[in-house]
Amino acid sequence: MSNLVVLPIIIPLLAGVIVALFNKKVAVTRTLTKLFSILNLGVAAYLSWIVFTTDSIILETGEWVAPYGIILVADPLASLLVLTTNIVAVACAFYAPHSLSLRQETHYFYAFYFFLITGVSGAFLTGDLFNLFVFFEVLLMASYALIVLGGERIQLRESIKYVLINLFSSILFVTAVAFIYGAVGTVNMAQIAERVQIQGQDGVLTTVAILLFFVFATKAALFPLYYWMPKSYIVPNTVVSALFGALLTKVGIYSILRVFSLIFVHKLELTHETFIWIAGLSMLFGVIGALSTNNIKLIIAYNIIPAIGFILMGLGVFNQDGMSGSVYYLVHDMIIKTALFLIVGVIAYVAGTSDLRKMGGLIHYYPGLGWLLFVAAFVLAGIPPFSGFIGKLLLLQGTLSEYEVVITIIALISSLLILYSVMKIFIRGFWGEKDETGKYEKKSTKGLIGPIVYLLAFSIFLGVGAEWIVPSVESISTYLLDPEIYIESVLKE
Amino acid sequence: MLIAVLIPLIFAIIVPYLSKFKQKVHTGIFVFFIPFSIFLYFIRFVGSDFEPVRQTYNWIPSLGINFDFYLDGLSLLFVLLISGIGSLVVLYSVYYLHVSERLGHFYLYLLMFMTAMLGVVLSDNVFVLYTFWELTSISSFLLIGYWHYRERSRYGAQKSMLITVFGGLSMLGGLVLLSNITGTTSIQAMIAQVDVILANDYLPLIMAFILLGAFTKSAQFPFHIWLPDAMEAPTPVSAYLHSATMVKAGIFLIARFSPIFSGYEWFFIVVSIVGIVTLCWASYMAVRQTDLKGILAFSTISQLGMIMAMLGFGTGAAVFAAVFHILNHATFKGSLFMIAGIIDHETGTRDIRKLGGLFTFMPMTGILAIFGTFSMAGIPLPFLNGFYSKEAFFASTLELESTGNAIASFLVEAIPYLAVFGSIFTFVYSMYLFFGVFTGPAKLDKLKTKPHEAPIGMLVSPFILVLGVIVIGLFPNLFNGTFLIHAAEAVNSTVELEKLKFWHGFITPLFMSLAVVGIGIVFYLTRQKWSNIYHVLPGKLSFNKVYDYIIKKLDDVSAKITDSYMTGSLKTYMTIILATILVVTTFFMVVTGGFTISTDNLAEVTFIEIAVVLVITIAAIATIFTNSKLGAILITGVVGYGVATLFVIYRAPDLALTQLVIETVSVALFLLCFYHLPKLRKRTEKASTKLGNAVISIGFGALMTIIAISAHSTDWFEPISNYFIETSYKLGGGHNIVNVILVDMRGLDTLFEITVLGIAALAIVSLIKLRHDKEAK
Repeated sequence: MSNLVVLPIIIPLLAGVIVALFNKKVAVTRTLTKLFSILNLGVAAYLSWIVFTTDSIILETGEWVAPYGIILVADPLASLLVLTTNIVAVACAFYAPHSLSLRQETHYFYAFYFFLITGVSGAFLTGDLFNLFVFFEVLLMASYALIVLGGERIQLRESIKYVLINLFSSILFVTAVAFIYGAVGTVNMAQIAERVQIQGQDGVLTTVAILLFFVFATKAALFPLYYWMPKSYIVPNTVVSALFGALLTKVGIYSILRVFSLIFVHKLELTHETFIWIAGLSMLFGVIGALSTNNIKLIIAYNIIPAIGFILMGLGVFNQDGMSGSVYYLVHDMIIKTALFLIVGVIAYVAGTSDLRKMGGLIHYYPGLGWLLFVAAFVLAGIPPFSGFIGKLLLLQGTLSEYEVVITIIALISSLLILYSVMKIFIRGFWGEKDETGKYEKKSTKGLIGPIVYLLAFSIFLGVGAEWIVPSVESISTYLLDPEIYIESVLKE
Repeated sequence: MLIAVLIPLIFAIIVPYLSKFKQKVHTGIFVFFIPFSIFLYFIRFVGSDFEPVRQTYNWIPSLGINFDFYLDGLSLLFVLLISGIGSLVVLYSVYYLHVSERLGHFYLYLLMFMTAMLGVVLSDNVFVLYTFWELTSISSFLLIGYWHYRERSRYGAQKSMLITVFGGLSMLGGLVLLSNITGTTSIQAMIAQVDVILANDYLPLIMAFILLGAFTKSAQFPFHIWLPDAMEAPTPVSAYLHSATMVKAGIFLIARFSPIFSGYEWFFIVVSIVGIVTLCWASYMAVRQTDLKGILAFSTISQLGMIMAMLGFGTGAAVFAAVFHILNHATFKGSLFMIAGIIDHETGTRDIRKLGGLFTFMPMTGILAIFGTFSMAGIPLPFLNGFYSKEAFFASTLELESTGNAIASFLVEAIPYLAVFGSIFTFVYSMYLFFGVFTGPAKLDKLKTKPHEAPIGMLVSPFILVLGVIVIGLFPNLFNGTFLIHAAEAVNSTVELEKLKFWHGFITPLFMSLAVVGIGIVFYLTRQKWSNIYHVLPGKLSFNKVYDYIIKKLDDVSAKITDSYMTGSLKTYMTIILATILVVTTFFMVVTGGFTISTDNLAEVTFIEIAVVLVITIAAIATIFTNSKLGAILITGVVGYGVATLFVIYRAPDLALTQLVIETVSVALFLLCFYHLPKLRKRTEKASTKLGNAVISIGFGALMTIIAISAHSTDWFEPISNYFIETSYKLGGGHNIVNVILVDMRGLDTLFEITVLGIAALAIVSLIKLRHDKEAK
């Protein structure tokens, strides 16, 4: 049973190797990719089912007992995120063949895609801080490969910044792990938590915690460390942008959620209070960025930043509703960001440009696409009855029960501006006079719309059918607020 | 009730299919039966023995979000307005909208709105109320943008969405606070805990949040600016959403929450001021408009202000007058919008400067317009409902009592005068609307088509509404006991049923009405003379300009801010990142007293170690100052070999070996790549930049060193490495502990580190091949 935990990591790893071997036969790799993605989704769903109906699953790899060996922990949060990752991955697997050029496909796109999933799933599932670093490397290396895939000049220019800043944060990561090992003599997260608790987060521990926060904040694209993100996310193919937008920054914010709910929770008035400020600034500067541009892909990329701010805000107030809100919002945002990237990808394709100023009246040719964008905009802004609303409501309940008024007002204003930034695409791009010059000759959107509909269906379900999800998310929140459960389930002494 | 609320939405799904037959049957005819059956369903609740009805359907019980429908007198009034006016509007639209229009879309949005609006007025659950509230904003957005190929439609739609969603989000903040404080999501349960709410420190904030929601939705000053632009919507929509129903959602909200806030002095002050200012400003502005719908839009704003003010007064008489006026306003304003639509339809223009003398061409329309406009003006005639509510309004302004607060006392004195002032302009624009369009010389040369009477079908709906004006005017007490009193009681439980009469004797309200008519006539006749005043006020001052300015600045300033730091320069990015980490981490270290140093656990430092470290340090510093690539690489190599030497000293031969190989390979690789790399440029930076960079670098290095020393200086716990030493051979079967750790104990790490290398190799292959292939083509 406990070997189940490793499957969401091993299946994509093997799949990646296999599709790399069949690289020349595009038809085969496409089919294999779809099959493996669905298989992995099934496994992730089964894993979540087991975890939510029974208990967390712990795997001590190589039979080396905790805390000495590497421990994989499928707790409710990790399995929910692995499941969401695979929901998103399936959409991208089906979208990719219609979006990528043949040259990109035959240059190992699908292999890198699977390695990315490997790294992301591993990062969610590991219970070992150094192992987390290793999985970060896996997903980053895959992302380096994906970002330059295509070899355009602009890709290379933006990717060099992306690689260098991420390398820097990786160095800082491994240094911080060394500091932690130096201070508490272990890298097992449960044991670190236990030892930090005994020591009351004294001495250098809070300093190291903040260092670790900055490592993750760089990956999560929080204020003021996100400079690498917006432009580097829009240079690769849309499907790569979607994967990045959905997964990479989310691994960063997940790590913050994990480390600052499990380990460093003994100086809340310092650490978590700071998070609230950083969350607020991320929201503001994120939406300001989203409003600053007419590039539709960049609008969506900037919108990643306020979303991460929302999630951090829930952690900042650190109460039941706030944490539930963070988790709900995290899942919601992974899905809707993917959907939006895929949508703007299609828009840029049919309009032949990413520049909003050169578009107009698209709805006369692509009504379905327009309405998908319309719905997605409201999902993103957290308008009921969609998924974003449930997350936002929980977050607001969390902040307002602590009377954190300033951050609440910032969050509300950000919601409005988020809506405005995306509705701009609808109003200026889709509305307007019918273009008769033949600029928008009907292009085939075959295969591109299906994955978007599939993702939006999840977003709507997460809102309308929230009753099926909310109790699980609230149990995750309870679980996160009580580190003892995690510590005991891993160390079980 | 759930079905009644949702049926328009469900029906909306099949409307696009029905619209396929629009050439044979106008889609509106199908749609008409929906609001009409809802009207019939709810009308049976009307009666003097009415008791509130409650029904609950679970949705998200874990969050307390359920469809708790609560039908009390207030809801019933609104439900009947929504379904009643809705039926008439759909009927009217059948003649107004030609079958060549996108009827499927139109009725889909309209039905969506109906569900939303019914939901707003029936929901007792605050979050369900909010859900429907936003849905009204969305459907209004779509309806205003119905003719989206027009620039003004897009502008109006965006404006209305931004302002109303802004208010909605603000309201959400207030609702969350209320539900946090009271522990319930039901409005009625909140009302039961009014003491708890009034005692809360954040009461001003809660009220501000909720009022912002109401004021934006009901187009109160200064948020009224979206409503005139919303007139870009087809006229049936203007009559329905932007006059009779949606804009009254804010009024409804205030009425709904009155039992909670009425005990709070500032509620009276804020709502009364905003209401009365809106009344005066909008009626003053209405006179200046040239577009028929523009006049009606400002008129609607001003009437909403009047109702808002009465709710702010909060006295029994005021609340009853407010409820009464909600009904009356719907009748006369609804009919006037439809008449404006007819005029537009039959003459091709809504510009009042091009119209005149239409009475001879359109006598039926003209007669209907007399009743509508005169009722709106509040002219004392016994068959106009507008007069009764206007007089009740005047009466309520006179009954206010001060509570002691200076602002409140001043308000009590000023309100009656302001009420008369606003009403004078109401009279002026009402007269202008009628006489400007229907009398005087006809200007046929300015019209595209020769005007003629509207088809009878188009006149049915306004006729029914005008009939309402007259019936209520003749029998003002017709609905009081059975209907209106229940609505008023839901707002203020102390309301007493009073008999409305036309003639009360020579009392102050009558003099106020007469003053309005008298001064109004003078103002109307002399309006050419004083119209220059609009150059002074508002003159250049306009809230529209404020809105446009904000929107423009949102784009410009955000671009400026973003461009200022998103320079694309890696150096800038790294500087900011390093500086941030440096400052914040140092702050935390100081605050938590993180620095400790202990020399207990250190080995003796030998001469050779010092020497090696010195070499490494000097080499590291030297890399910065060299201008030659070759030099930089070689010096970096020195650092690497120095580290390898340290490994040798500490008796870690395998690490030393690894380090040596890596150093050698990378130096060799660098040298190979040199041919392709550009020359290092001599850096020409300002001294201040250099100094800043130096401070950040040295600071960052120092910080890392201090943290490292502090982390090493703790001896709280036994490190887990002792376990590895003990079990390496016993369980791992190897004497070389590092090897056992790598391949067994932490084999997973190694597996994935290998994967990383594999991906890197594949990435390089892909990059090179892709480039190669491209060049080949």
